[in-house]
Amino acid sequence: MSDFFAADFLFRNAILGGLGVALLCSVVGVYLVLRRLVLIGVALPQAGAAGIAAVFWLTGHGQGEGHGTHLLALAGSLAATGIALALLVASQRRARAPAEWGIGALFAITSAATILFIAVNPTGDFEMSSLLRGELLAITASDLRVLGAALLAAGLLFFLFRRELLLSSFDPEFARTVDRNPLRYDALLYALIGGSIALGVMEAGPLVVFGFLVLPALAALHLAPGLAAAFAISAAIGAASFLGGFALAYRADLPAGPVSVAVAAGFWLAAAALARLRLRRRAAALLALLVALASLPGCALWDGSRTNALGPLPRGALPEPGPGWSIAVLPFDNQTGEALRVPPANFLNDLPRLAGDPFAGGGPTVPELLAQRAAVELARRGFEVVPVERVRSLVSRAPADPASASRAAASANLDGPVLLGTLRRFTVSSTGILLIRLDLALVDPKTKQVLWTGAARRPVPIQAAQTWQEILLDAGAPIFAEAFGNQ
Amino acid sequence: MPGPLLSVEAADFGYAGRAVVHRASLAVRPQEFAIIVGSNGSGKTTLLRGMLGFLAPLSGRVARRPGLRIGYVPQRETLDPLYPLSGFDVALLGAWRDLPFWRFSGARERARARDALAACRATGFADKRYAELSGGQRQRVLLARALATQPELLLLDEPTAGVDPEAERGILDLLRELCRERGLAIWMVTHHVHAIGGRSDRIVSVSDGRVACEAA
Repeated sequence: MSDFFAADFLFRNAILGGLGVALLCSVVGVYLVLRRLVLIGVALPQAGAAGIAAVFWLTGHGQGEGHGTHLLALAGSLAATGIALALLVASQRRARAPAEWGIGALFAITSAATILFIAVNPTGDFEMSSLLRGELLAITASDLRVLGAALLAAGLLFFLFRRELLLSSFDPEFARTVDRNPLRYDALLYALIGGSIALGVMEAGPLVVFGFLVLPALAALHLAPGLAAAFAISAAIGAASFLGGFALAYRADLPAGPVSVAVAAGFWLAAAALARLRLRRRAAALLALLVALASLPGCALWDGSRTNALGPLPRGALPEPGPGWSIAVLPFDNQTGEALRVPPANFLNDLPRLAGDPFAGGGPTVPELLAQRAAVELARRGFEVVPVERVRSLVSRAPADPASASRAAASANLDGPVLLGTLRRFTVSSTGILLIRLDLALVDPKTKQVLWTGAARRPVPIQAAQTWQEILLDAGAPIFAEAFGNQ
Repeated sequence: MPGPLLSVEAADFGYAGRAVVHRASLAVRPQEFAIIVGSNGSGKTTLLRGMLGFLAPLSGRVARRPGLRIGYVPQRETLDPLYPLSGFDVALLGAWRDLPFWRFSGARERARARDALAACRATGFADKRYAELSGGQRQRVLLARALATQPELLLLDEPTAGVDPEAERGILDLLRELCRERGLAIWMVTHHVHAIGGRSDRIVSVSDGRVACEAA
């Protein structure tokens, strides 16, 4: 499991980002459940999605136009979530009808609006669906900083106003008699709920957000002897569910979000069963925590070799490693004539570029992600690999031929062989086929000798992939299997 | 004779601009035990909510002595049993009254909650989950929560509703005792005039929104 947090692990940011969303949602979710607002957890993410869809439609956004619309999309998500929340709160205060009537109507309206906005937008469906599903796998370092800041702010506000939030939620009239204005603290709670949902939907998608808003809190409330314990247990179950789910998904090549939610559901069922056993609540809570913590290494140790998508592979056509070889994967050269920049998961990353800094980047590029994947695939075939981040810090420009690759390696003091990559084509057809041409060469920088060459040219079906990240994830294994001669 | 803790002068109280209680006038005196009686829908709870400040008067005025500390005991059915709170946790809510948000709840607040629970003879079940307590026990815990706010005036909304006769007598004796020994003014809404016996100093009757005060 510790490998999952290593700096050069391909999914490190996805894990840390998902963990942040899981913690945020599982803590906020305790109040969502206690205040009987669970249905809001379904309706608000849908409202956020409708906001994003509306922005994409209004801006006529299409695939590849990318970054400029992301800021608007976040604004759309936040605005739609905020407006929906305000409408629900206002209707609850004034109307005599049950709250779920309004929530149900909101869900129906926003679901229909989302589909209609997609239908009337002829160009934006691909990237829009990627945003609506969340882009956990493409979370960048600056996304993590935004998530970390949100987590810190939410945690601080929850801690500072824990008494006020409890008083206002449990008995608002009594809160008024002890000089706490429940409207003010309701507003704070709703802002925390709305902000967490809007941010979580952008990073992880509505399914993960709703699952982690509800399931860890439900499990915790079965077991917790007190409110503070409920928050702690919910956070522990949220974290354990995400990490355990990610480990299972990683081993079994399944989508991480639904697996994590399924693990959280398992915790909920286990908690319900424990509560029925009439064990002392404290003992049951302790047991749940132990199970949660024990599941982490258990998932990591689980032998999924038969289905392991990223397990060891034969060396294929690659040469026998020499003594002390450590291959450095140099930045891949982009000869496609297109930027191939993957939209950042959080368009706050785009602020510097939108503010006029032309050199500020958005998300990573396809060649960068392919180089990362090449390093992973080489490691699967038993080669020592120099961490990609380290290579990137030493070699910033992609070499175009073996001679320039040798010079770049020499100036970066890279002694071992270097992998040179040139991407000449990367096109997704309308029928869900990836058309690729990637040329690879292994070069010894000391002798400037080309040790091996390989290429990937076969079309790769990617019908199941909905986002750029999923395309690269699904296509990575067959691309390098062909290039390294495993097929 | 000290002035009133709270006075209501020709006040209308109601909802959405429509008055339910009309031209109510009354004064709450220190150390007084009064009951508000009336049939269902007569306006008893609306009057209490007006005294608490939950409803602004549509006309007339409500005057409170500056710095007046009011303890409130709601109908216990209004509290959600879903919250994982013990009886002690609920009483502690009252002890947080003077605690600013940046300070930790410490030994002083816990001692105040324990004292209030002891005064309400609720120590024996304070560690149990609030949702699992009987009606009479919950009422004592809510009373302890109000006492933990260190009030001068206690306002109670039907504290004996749905409680068996023995528990009802216990709660009423306890209220009378608190009034006498702690010098609290206590006003409570009740349906059960017969159960009050000679415990109250004053009866305030509400009928069709009209309020009349009389000595017990």
